[in-house]
Amino acid sequence: MSETVTFKLNGKDVTVPKGTTVMEAARREKVEIPHFCWHPGLSVAGVCRFCMVKVEGRPKLEIACNLQATDGMDVKTSTDDTKAAHKWALEFHLINHPLDCPICDQAGECGLQDYYMSVGKYHSQMTRPKVLKPKTLDVGKDLVLDTERCILCSRCVRFEEEVTKTGALGIFDRGDRAIVGTYPGTKIEHSYQTNLVDICPVGAFTSRDFRFKQRVWFLKDKPATCPGCSTGCSVDVFGKPETRTYYRVKPRQGEANGHWMCDKGRDTYKHLNQENRLRTALASDAKGKVSEATFADAIADLGSRLAAVNPAQDVALLVSAQHTSEEYKSLFDFFVRELGVKKVYQWREPGEKTDAFDGLLLRGDHNANTRGLQDALKEAGLPGGVKNEFDAVATSGAKIVIAVTPEIPWTFPSLERQLDSLSELGFVSFWSVAGSLTTRKKVKHALPLKGFAEKKGTFVNHAGKAAKLEHPFPCTVKDGRDVTEIVAALKQWRQNHGRH
Amino acid sequence: MGDTLNKVKITTAFEGKPNARALKTYVDNGGYTALKKAFSMQPAQIIDEVKAAGLRGRGGAGFPTGMKWGFVPKDDKGPKYIVCNNDEGEPGTFKDRYIAECNPHMLIEGMIIAGFAIGANKGYIYTRFEFFEEIRWLEIAIKEAYDAGFLGDNILGSGFKFHLDHYTGAGAYICGEETGLLSSLEGKKGQPKLKPPFPAVSGYLHRPTVVNNTETLATVPFIINNGAAAHKAIGTEKSPGTKLFCISGRVKRPGVYELPLGYPFEKLLNEDAGGMLPGYTLKACIPGGSSAPILTPEELKGLTLDYEAITAKGSMLGSGAIMIIDNTMSMVELLKVTVDFYHHESCGQCTPCREGTGWLANIMGGIAAGEGKKDDIERMNEISARMGGRTICALSDAAAMPTMSIVKKFGAEIADYIERGIRA
Repeated sequence: MSETVTFKLNGKDVTVPKGTTVMEAARREKVEIPHFCWHPGLSVAGVCRFCMVKVEGRPKLEIACNLQATDGMDVKTSTDDTKAAHKWALEFHLINHPLDCPICDQAGECGLQDYYMSVGKYHSQMTRPKVLKPKTLDVGKDLVLDTERCILCSRCVRFEEEVTKTGALGIFDRGDRAIVGTYPGTKIEHSYQTNLVDICPVGAFTSRDFRFKQRVWFLKDKPATCPGCSTGCSVDVFGKPETRTYYRVKPRQGEANGHWMCDKGRDTYKHLNQENRLRTALASDAKGKVSEATFADAIADLGSRLAAVNPAQDVALLVSAQHTSEEYKSLFDFFVRELGVKKVYQWREPGEKTDAFDGLLLRGDHNANTRGLQDALKEAGLPGGVKNEFDAVATSGAKIVIAVTPEIPWTFPSLERQLDSLSELGFVSFWSVAGSLTTRKKVKHALPLKGFAEKKGTFVNHAGKAAKLEHPFPCTVKDGRDVTEIVAALKQWRQNHGRH
Repeated sequence: MGDTLNKVKITTAFEGKPNARALKTYVDNGGYTALKKAFSMQPAQIIDEVKAAGLRGRGGAGFPTGMKWGFVPKDDKGPKYIVCNNDEGEPGTFKDRYIAECNPHMLIEGMIIAGFAIGANKGYIYTRFEFFEEIRWLEIAIKEAYDAGFLGDNILGSGFKFHLDHYTGAGAYICGEETGLLSSLEGKKGQPKLKPPFPAVSGYLHRPTVVNNTETLATVPFIINNGAAAHKAIGTEKSPGTKLFCISGRVKRPGVYELPLGYPFEKLLNEDAGGMLPGYTLKACIPGGSSAPILTPEELKGLTLDYEAITAKGSMLGSGAIMIIDNTMSMVELLKVTVDFYHHESCGQCTPCREGTGWLANIMGGIAAGEGKKDDIERMNEISARMGGRTICALSDAAAMPTMSIVKKFGAEIADYIERGIRA
C-alpha cells in the first residue's frame, strides 16, 4: 500500500497519495483552481502564476501546481487574497492579448474568456498601446499560429519535448517580446500536431481544418471511440445535428490514449458527412433495373434473392473489421447459425502491417475492431486468425455476396480498387457508409450503414480492452442502419414471407 | 559585536600590489595556506567554521553561506558542483570584477575549499559576458593554479580531486539569478528554474550544486586561516565581516571600498568617497543595486551599512552598490531607465513579470513622452504590488520594489511632470 497524506482543502479533509500536488488533489475533488500552464499530461512549468492558493501559516500565496500536499496542510483556494491574485493574474495575461474574440476560433472554449467570467470581471487598466507580434504563422501543415494571442504558457513547447520528443517548438526572445515558434527553416512535421490546438488554452494555435468553419457553441459533442486504428483512443465527436454535419474529432482523456490522439484520427469525421456518404439504398426492380430504393424495397430485394438460393453453398459474407462486436454477433447469428452460411471471409487491406506502431498511439492495424471480429468468428464456430481473404470471394462460387464494407476510406488505400473488382462479381450487396459506390454502374444492391458516431456498440482494441459507443448522433443519412438493424429487417422480411 | 570602523582588508588585500593577480604574489603573501589547513580538517568542520563565522552571501540576498553548504546531501555519492556566480549584472555594482582584477587566486582557493567542504570535485566560474579583461585574468589564474598543482586530480597530495572550468554568459542579467545561471551553464536558455527542488538538491545537470557569489567565495580563505572568531570580530553581530561597497554618482571619489559591515553611510560618502562634487547635493541614494528601494536623505541620516539597518529602513544591502542620486537628476528619468532595464531583462517565463515589467516601461514611456495620465502613478503602484512575490525568481520583485519606493517617495515630482506634460 502506498503512503497517503491528509490535508485540508477549503476546510474539507482530503486524503491523497504522498507526492500528489494540491492542483491534482483539487482536480480530483472537483475544486476549480484557475490555471493555464498546468496540464495533467505534461510536466509542471509553474510559469502562468495563476493557480495561487493560500496555505495557512505561510506568508505568501503559492502556486498549487508545484505544491505537494503534506499532512495537516490547510489550503484555501478562494480567499480574498487568492481572488485578487487570480483577477490580477488574468489582467496580466490579457493586457497584451489582442481581444479579437469575434474572429478567433477559440472563442467559446477559451481559457481567457472562461476565466474572465469566473474570476475576472474587472475593467481593464491597460491604457497604453499593446505589444504587437507576428500572426498567422505557418508552423505545420495542420496548424496556424498567432503569437499575439499566445500567453506563453509553454504547454506546446513541453508537448513537443515530452510527448512527441521532437523538441520542435521553442520560446524565442524574452520578456514581453517572447514568441513561441519553430526553429529557423523548420516546421512541425509529425502527425500529432493538432494536439497543440487542444492544449493551447487560448487561440494561439488553431486548426487549419476546423478554422472558420463553425462557432463552437453551435456544436454538440458526444463521447465515442476513434475508429481509425486498433488503439481505440477515447474521443469526442463534434457535430451539428440540425444540419446533419460533423466538424471535428478531439481526444478525450482515456486509458488507451492519455490525453492525445493522432492527426489521422482527427479525420475520422469527414467520411460521415453527407457529401461523402451512401445516402440511399440501391436495389433492382422486377425488370432488373438498378435504382435508388427505399430501405424496405432494398430489404425485400435482398430477402427474396436469399430465399431463392441455398445459403450454405451460394452465399458468402465478406466482413471488414471496422464494425462493432454486437453487429458481428447478429450478422453471424443470422447468416451462419440460422441460414447455415459457411463462406465467411475477412476483408482487410492487402499488405497491411498490423504490428506496426509509431511509438505513441497510431497502430498499423487500421481496424478498430479486429479483436472483436476474431471473437465473433470464434463464437460462431468459424476459423479465425487475422488474414486478408478478399481474393477468396471471387473464386468462392457464391451467387450472393454480402460485403460489409470498411467504414473509414483513408484506412483502406485499396478500397476503391477492391470495390471495382467486387462489383464485377455476380450479385454483391454492399453494406456501406462510404458513398463512392453510387458512381459505379455495376453495383446492383447497396444498403447505407450508420457511421461509428451514430450507433451503439463495442470496439475491442489491440490490448483486448472493450470500449463502448454509447452516445450516438442521429444518422445524417435518412435510411442509415447499423448491421444489427439490417439483419433484424431481413429476419422480419423472412418471417413475413413464411421463411424461418 | 565586531568592529564596524576598522578597515580590515580581506578580499582587496592585494589591491595596489605590483603583479597583484600573479600566483607568485599570492603565494608569497600567504596564499593557498588556507587550502593546506582545510585539507587537515573534516569537511563538516569547514562548514561549521563558515557557519560560525556568520558569512552571508554577498551577491545580494545575504543568505548564510554555511547553511547553504549544509543543505547539500552528505550521503549522496554522485557528482556535486560548486559554481561561482561571477555574472555581476546588478546595476550600480562593480565589485566582483575587482576581485578578478586583484585577487583571482583568492577566489580559486575559496572555491577549492568550498568544493572540499561539500564534496564537489568540479567547479565552474560563470563570468559576465562583458568582462573581457576579467575573463582573461581568471583563465590565466586557473591555468597557473593547475600548473602549480592547486587544481587537479590529487591536490597537494591530499587525495582530493578538484577541477575548475570557466564559463562565460551571453549577456543576460537574469543569469545572475542562481538557477538562471545554472540553466545557462547547462547550455539552455537562461531562465530560472522552478523551486522546489532547490539547487543544493537538484541543480546543475540535476545534481546537488552550490552557487556562491565571487566575493563570498573569496572570503572563505580568510575564515579558514584566521578562524571564525576573527571574522566575527569584524562588522556587526548579525552582519559580520567586510563588504565591498561600490559608490557611484556625482561624488568626488567613486569606486570600490572594502569596509566592515555596519560602517556609517555618511562616513563612506563624505570621508571615503570625499563627499558630493561641488555644486551637487544629495537627493536620494539607492543602496544595494537598482533592485533596492530608494532612500531619501532623511532616511540616510545615521544609517549604517549592514543587512539589518538597511532592511529596517525598508531597503536592502543587496550587492553593496551605493548609487548616489544628486539634485540634478530627474526621478522620471531614473524610474524610466530602471523599469526599461527590467523590461529588457525579464526572461518572460512568469506572467506577472513578463507583462508587469513591460507595462511599467510602457507607462513610464508615456509619461516621459509627455503623455502621462493622472492615474498612472496609482496604476504603477498597483501593478508593482501585484508583481511582487508571485514569480519563480526575484526579478519581478526587483522591478516592483524600486518602482513602488520611487513612486511613494517622489510621487509629487512625477505628478508634477505629468501635470505639465513635459517631455523628458
